[in-house]
Amino acid sequence: MKLTQVFLPAVVLVLSTFTTQAQHVSDASLVAKGAKVYSENCGRCHNARPAEEYSKKEWSVVIPHMRAKAHLTGKEALAVEAFLDSTLTSDVRSEVKGGSLENKVQRSGADLVAQFGCQGCHKINGEGGALGPELSGIVARKGQEFVLKKLTNPKFNNAASAMPKFPMTAADKQAIIDYLSQ
Amino acid sequence: MKTNSISTAVASALLLSAAPFTFAQENSSLDIGRLAIAGYGDVSYIAQDNLKDDQGNAVQNNVQARFIPIFLFQMSEKIHIESEIEFSTGQDGETETELEYINMHYYLNDNTIITAGKFLLPFGQFSANIHPSWINKAASTPGIYGGHGGNGSLNGVTTVMNDTGINVSNTWNLGGAGRLFTDFYVVSGPRQEAGAHGGGVEFEAKKGDNNDSFAYGGRVAYAFLPEWEIGVSYYTGPYSNDGDLNYSAYNVDFNWNGTFASVRGEIFGSTAETEGEIEVNGEIDEFVKDFNKNGWYIQGAWQARQLGKAWLNPVELVLRYSDTSSDFDGSVIEEFDEDAGRMGSRVYYGVNYWLEPSAVLKFGAETTSLDNGVNSDDRLFLQLAFGF
Repeated sequence: MKLTQVFLPAVVLVLSTFTTQAQHVSDASLVAKGAKVYSENCGRCHNARPAEEYSKKEWSVVIPHMRAKAHLTGKEALAVEAFLDSTLTSDVRSEVKGGSLENKVQRSGADLVAQFGCQGCHKINGEGGALGPELSGIVARKGQEFVLKKLTNPKFNNAASAMPKFPMTAADKQAIIDYLSQ
Repeated sequence: MKTNSISTAVASALLLSAAPFTFAQENSSLDIGRLAIAGYGDVSYIAQDNLKDDQGNAVQNNVQARFIPIFLFQMSEKIHIESEIEFSTGQDGETETELEYINMHYYLNDNTIITAGKFLLPFGQFSANIHPSWINKAASTPGIYGGHGGNGSLNGVTTVMNDTGINVSNTWNLGGAGRLFTDFYVVSGPRQEAGAHGGGVEFEAKKGDNNDSFAYGGRVAYAFLPEWEIGVSYYTGPYSNDGDLNYSAYNVDFNWNGTFASVRGEIFGSTAETEGEIEVNGEIDEFVKDFNKNGWYIQGAWQARQLGKAWLNPVELVLRYSDTSSDFDGSVIEEFDEDAGRMGSRVYYGVNYWLEPSAVLKFGAETTSLDNGVNSDDRLFLQLAFGF
């Protein structure tokens, strides 16, 4: 019995020492994966919650809790964290401070859709998740004004919408609308 | 045996605490926090005008408020501590408190989590993940679940289970959408209810242990993301004070999530070895018999946003059917009748109006058909539930 008492913790300790230390990093390649994991897993038990319900720091503590609840791997949990982080500003309501994004080089609609991981939740040309409606032809079906409103305030037509309020400029929104109009 | 095992667990914890883990801030490029408070709460009104107690007296309509914060503390990349406490209004106006769980997750590697402490048992899905009121789409718990706030005229055949011990959780990636989830745990175990006979099994985690023996259990589930998850759970352990009587239970759970609808359910069965005395030909014979409790429920929800009408986007319809049966209804042995008149079937109809993704106003109606028809309770619910 004494041997068992020593042996079991020793095995655990050795395994622990050689395991990879996870890191919270902002990696663009993680964002799309994180959006997909978020789309596929949060809704298994409850409505997916939009990013602005917690701050970046709070998400970094909440995600490990949800990792255990949802049986996410460590890598999946960190990808979700990177995705949520990408959608938040330092403002608690994720508002974009005046001018803070204006000086950046204008990105294309395709780049923005990829950067924000839109296809984690939406299908575009048959590829993507099913948490939200398909975006192919969305501008033709709903009109530019609807898409602009949705990008500006995702809850304007559905209080239970899980869509994050992404930090983007007016030019960003127009670029996405142009991309989705193609 | 138990002392040695606990010593092993303590030794493990001490060694693990000395492990060279990386603190959260190191090498991180995101904003990392230490503490977060999440949780949920609800305010409910339950009209139960025709509900009677065992003596046939009318039962008051129920008004209740609950606040259930979850305290989350990230000690490091590898260690996370969480605790959930329920505050609610009590029968006599006092504030009731209950420690739902307090445990430590140790993230051993990318796939494995070791949890130690008091935790919700991964036995089915309702206990571990779905019972919070903003997640449970109905305003009441499924008919198979008793306790934890009561369940009208039905006794329930199990309860939301938590206990103190250790759980090892694993996630296995089986390709693009396939996942295998496993949980195996050892916990303090059930205990014998106070009373003259065996058979009464109590699950409430308490300080101390009545029989110096553990209970073991686990859940194995296959998920095909994002739509399907099917799990099988098993739990077994001695419950009597002398450790001679065993309780075992199984649970088969399933969960399907579509874009506009979801269906979830569980099939539950349990066997409690029960001892007693019976008079045969003028002589008293002692016996040990297996007494079973069984039940199942299925719950469907549909989101009206499928109709494409903006004003219907927040509306959701819920329908649930539950059924329970028990050998403790006097049918096997006359003296074992605590479930008599407390088993049957129940239908819940509900309309939910979502105010936020995690805040919902629920209107519900429930009708119950008891097997012996002594009592029935048609209940109406109005509940505001929120997660935060």
